[in-house]
Amino acid sequence: MSADSKSVLRILAVMVAVTVSVVARAEDPSLDGQTNYRFFENRIRPVLVEHCYECHSGDQGKHKGGLRIDSREAIRTGGDSGPAIQTEHPLESLLLQAIRYESLEMPPQGKLSPKIIADFEKWISEGAPDPRDGSAVAEPESQTNNDPHQPHWAFAPIVPHHLPTVVRRSWPRDDLDYFVLHRLETVGMSPAADATRYRWLRRVSLDLTGLPPSLDEIRRFERDRSAHAETAVVDRLLSSPAFGEKWARHWLDLVGYADQIGTSNDIFAEHAWRYRNYVIDAINDDKPFDRFVQEQIAGDLLPYESVAERTDQLTATGFLLLGDVEIVEADKAKLLVDVIDQQIVKMSNAFLAMTVGCARCHDHKFDPISQRDYYALGGIFRSTDSIYQTGRGVWSSVTSVNLPETSDDQIRRNHRSTAHQQKLQQLTEKRDTLLREQEALAHESAAESNEETQKPDHEEEQLRQEIARLDNQIKHANYFSPRPPQAYSVHDADGPADMQITIRGNPRALGDLVARDHIEFLKSTQFPDIPSHESGRRQLAEWLTDSNNPLPARVVVNRIWQQLFGTGLVSSVDYFGVRGEQPSHPKLLDHLASTFISQGWSQKQLIRRLVLSRTYRMSSRPHAEYMDVDPENRLLWRMTPRRLSAESLRDSLLFVTDQLSRSRVNSALPLEYVENVGGLDPKNVNPPHFRLNKWRPDQPFQRTVFLPVVRSAEQPGPADLRNVFDFTQPATYAGQRSVTAVPTQALFLMNSESMKKFATAMAEQLKNASGDRLDLLWWRVLNRPIDPQERAQAIDFLANSDHDWSELCHALLASNEFLMVL
Amino acid sequence: MRFPNLLNTVANRRQLLKQTACGFGGVALNWMLTQGNVQAKPSVPPTRPKAKRIIFLFMAGGPSQPDLFDPKSLIIKNHGKTVAAPVDDTQLRVGVDQYLAMAPVAPVRPRGNSGMMISDLLPNIGGLADDLCLLKGMHTDNKAHSPATLQFHTGALTEARPSLGAWVSYGLGSENQDLPSFITIHPPSDGRTYGSSFLPAKHQGMAVRVPAKESDVAIKYLRDAETDLQTQQRRIDFLQTMNRRLLKEHSTPQMNGMIESFELAFRMQTETPQLVDLENETDETHQLYGLGDPATDRNGRACLLARRLSEAGVRFVQVSIGGWDHHGDIPNNLRKSCQQADRPIAGLITDLKRRGLLDETLVVWSGEFGRSPWSQDLSGTSPIEKHGREHQHESFCSILVGGGVRGGLTYGATDDFGYRPIEGRVHLYDLHATMLYLLGLDHEQLTHRHAGRDFRLTDVYGNVVHPILT
Repeated sequence: MSADSKSVLRILAVMVAVTVSVVARAEDPSLDGQTNYRFFENRIRPVLVEHCYECHSGDQGKHKGGLRIDSREAIRTGGDSGPAIQTEHPLESLLLQAIRYESLEMPPQGKLSPKIIADFEKWISEGAPDPRDGSAVAEPESQTNNDPHQPHWAFAPIVPHHLPTVVRRSWPRDDLDYFVLHRLETVGMSPAADATRYRWLRRVSLDLTGLPPSLDEIRRFERDRSAHAETAVVDRLLSSPAFGEKWARHWLDLVGYADQIGTSNDIFAEHAWRYRNYVIDAINDDKPFDRFVQEQIAGDLLPYESVAERTDQLTATGFLLLGDVEIVEADKAKLLVDVIDQQIVKMSNAFLAMTVGCARCHDHKFDPISQRDYYALGGIFRSTDSIYQTGRGVWSSVTSVNLPETSDDQIRRNHRSTAHQQKLQQLTEKRDTLLREQEALAHESAAESNEETQKPDHEEEQLRQEIARLDNQIKHANYFSPRPPQAYSVHDADGPADMQITIRGNPRALGDLVARDHIEFLKSTQFPDIPSHESGRRQLAEWLTDSNNPLPARVVVNRIWQQLFGTGLVSSVDYFGVRGEQPSHPKLLDHLASTFISQGWSQKQLIRRLVLSRTYRMSSRPHAEYMDVDPENRLLWRMTPRRLSAESLRDSLLFVTDQLSRSRVNSALPLEYVENVGGLDPKNVNPPHFRLNKWRPDQPFQRTVFLPVVRSAEQPGPADLRNVFDFTQPATYAGQRSVTAVPTQALFLMNSESMKKFATAMAEQLKNASGDRLDLLWWRVLNRPIDPQERAQAIDFLANSDHDWSELCHALLASNEFLMVL
Repeated sequence: MRFPNLLNTVANRRQLLKQTACGFGGVALNWMLTQGNVQAKPSVPPTRPKAKRIIFLFMAGGPSQPDLFDPKSLIIKNHGKTVAAPVDDTQLRVGVDQYLAMAPVAPVRPRGNSGMMISDLLPNIGGLADDLCLLKGMHTDNKAHSPATLQFHTGALTEARPSLGAWVSYGLGSENQDLPSFITIHPPSDGRTYGSSFLPAKHQGMAVRVPAKESDVAIKYLRDAETDLQTQQRRIDFLQTMNRRLLKEHSTPQMNGMIESFELAFRMQTETPQLVDLENETDETHQLYGLGDPATDRNGRACLLARRLSEAGVRFVQVSIGGWDHHGDIPNNLRKSCQQADRPIAGLITDLKRRGLLDETLVVWSGEFGRSPWSQDLSGTSPIEKHGREHQHESFCSILVGGGVRGGLTYGATDDFGYRPIEGRVHLYDLHATMLYLLGLDHEQLTHRHAGRDFRLTDVYGNVVHPILT
């Protein structure tokens, strides 16, 4: 729309508003006399101008709380909290409540004098006569979607497209390549040459498993010159457990996952790992994505056929719980609405890439999400139990359930229980013996002190310490006694009910009740009716995975694309709304999304075709001219080099130095060590907490995804590297991590103890290896042959002493080539 | 030739990049040279700045304003007796169910010409009363440490938003290209309190610990004591040669940024150690801050370092001083905390003043909240002499000193209990707006577009507190 036609519209809007107010005035009998206006002009208008217009007038361009009070119409229309003036019950008008500081407190700078308040009461009870004309409607900030008849692309149905025609018909390998090539050809650009086989192998290995290829794997690939060589590699990588261990982490970023409940006081989330492993398994088993969504929203409500299936489904709902819940909030009504808010925000970000949080207080300013939509969803989560009060001080916690056990499980647990009881008994007996000794000693020394001789009291002190130690062990053993396995999981509340709008998120300022199934967002996808005895999560899961719902498939396809190509086809991966980025290749996105759905929502199938495409195979060589016109490579004229994630970097360092443990891990927090748990006394006002003093011997070598994630501090222990290389902040839900280049990273690479250890380990390995050590080093670290220039420089570098080998290894492990996927 | 020297001048940097990063567009080259980072930053043009830098003294735990600044005759009169506390029943309160009025644990008296009320527990700060602006009507939104601390630093109670220091750095940029523009000394454990969230990463605070002894490091990984500089430099030369060669084949701004960050890191490891070396200061200055005295040494070092960093052009320096969370035995514990903090803080203000820096430096002293006028007893059995006080976010006191703030002013007042502000209410958002205002930044204009909308430090709130400004 041109600027001219916009201003014409604006003039029209004002004219309409003026007409309306003129009509309204004519119908209002109280407005005929001049005296009424005089009262307004003398007593009311000056106060409004002085105390209210700064925040609530069109002139200032502001209307806080959606409220303008600079016209007769506007003050009656009101804002987010409703009309400011009620002509039927004048004395209950919100405006009066606010200036009396009863509900809202206005003006915020200080309460008006009783005389002024009395003036307002008089004015409103007389019908609030008001001569001011003007439009009540706050103009929207901007109009992004220029054509109101064309729905925003993301909300339109997914349309499968025909393959576009291309000139270089020999280039495409996969259907997707046609879309990419076509786009390049229309602007006269050509795709980069293929990457070398080494680069491709390193790229695909890191992208699928987070680990570089091993020497064996490189050699095997080098020998295999068949047409299926690449396919064989990709299938091997997709079936490796390492695949799920890498891709699960991308999902956990959207969950705010941590091995900690909330942020305060280091409260351990001892069952969180079950959800983490559930995600790893779901990805490795290629659980259809629609199923994956349903289980995380409503797994507890789904039918099941086995203990394993039920376990999975219950565990999956941990999605709704494992974020930053403010369990120490003293106002429990507020806590409840805040938790609901987090669930709505998390769900809509993960599956819809929409920011719904704004609708807590007002209709979304840009996207078609109303405040009623928000509270309809709110009702669904309000009818779901997620938190409970612990009975310790102000503390709440998130709900957990006992998982079903097979009879074998039960037998094993009984065995553990017996052993545990024996251990507990031994500890108790030992302590009791010492207690008796202590008593005897006290008795003795009391007797002796009568004789004025002093026993050395270090014996008593030792005894005291030993008893305290045993006491702690007993408490620890009691707390962690064998119990049925548990997972954090939600369940439907007794008596599900709709939710009232909370004004500005205040749980005590309530507005209309909104029916739970009254979700009008995405008119294309009808929201199923919710029976009154159900929360509505089952229906929400259905609605999300309805094949007519255009968002979830587009959103997940786009996120997967981002992981493999550096940038999403829609670069704002977490926001598909009106103000988000347009897709660079809209038809390609729809093509991928529709085949994704038709192929049974298989993530592995999608990833397989992406990495086997010609587009993925391009080299990352820069092109001077293209760097000018498309520096961000949105048209996909080359592969974008990407820095490794913190996890891939650490795992790769362990892998190339031959130290990586490949075993699967359950609990990340080593809570089995007494010294890692504090506050076990049941009388404590705070719940027990973790303090990571001692690590399991194998933890320094485990994959990063299996190490504890904490929310209250820096990431602890063996994976401190995460604090430096842009690990996600586990209080956010983000499908995209920032990638920074800050000096702290360089300092870490130069000076940290861990980098020096990796370098030494690498040098040790080389010392014992047969063959050309430089060759081997380059193959292992950079996965390619050393070139003659590098060899010459390396030989020169090594001239001084033997220690130079670890210096050389250190240089290579800190090099951009190792830190990046090229 | 060593790369750090090679890159000392812009001309040389330009030359080098031309040689190595073939195909760089002129524009991209230019902003890389001026920004020194991979992300461009839109600066808000400052207006009417009254201060150039901020030193934020964060009193973690919630210092007790009824004991230190805001005594109430009603409470003193009823010491040990139950008072009809004007609290609502929406919040769980543990250990305060008796609402026993508790008089200040030490005398609070008028100080200086202004007669500002300050406790005997803070004799040195009390001596500076006529420089201080005491806000008695502060309030925030949550009474638990984690969310309140987060809110104090980022404006948000949960989530991850850019921190105050990051916003300042984002708005004003750096005064010293060899140092980060936001440094936080002994930071709170939650990294979000000095994070940059969606702002470019260079605005995040750098965490610094003050070396108390030789073996301590101020900045993580700043030096590798076991490797001599020459060996290290040989290794880095080899590495940077490889990195630059790689640029020819795979150039991206990210890779250039990584090469540059190695340069800055190298400069930092040679230059920063001198800056953080407090031995360059005179004995008299050491004494002023309380160095050498076991009670004040740690905080004294932190405050002295803050002055050195601020003087060197770091826009936002934070010093966190913990130990104010007095749930029990407040008569003893508060005395101890005051002893540890009073002299270092007064020393900092005095030192800034005599160096002529106080006019251009805004010093802010505050906890994340304050404490209740009635006592708290978690055991339920202690005598009142051993009681503490519960958190209170409904009202508490903060202090501003220096750049653009009226000295000797007590602003705001609380009700008869010292529970709710009745005049001069200053919400945290108002304090944030005022801090930015003093730096010449309009809190409503300092925004960053993220996820489809403009974010700001004060969200949709905040009013500059004009009456306290000079």
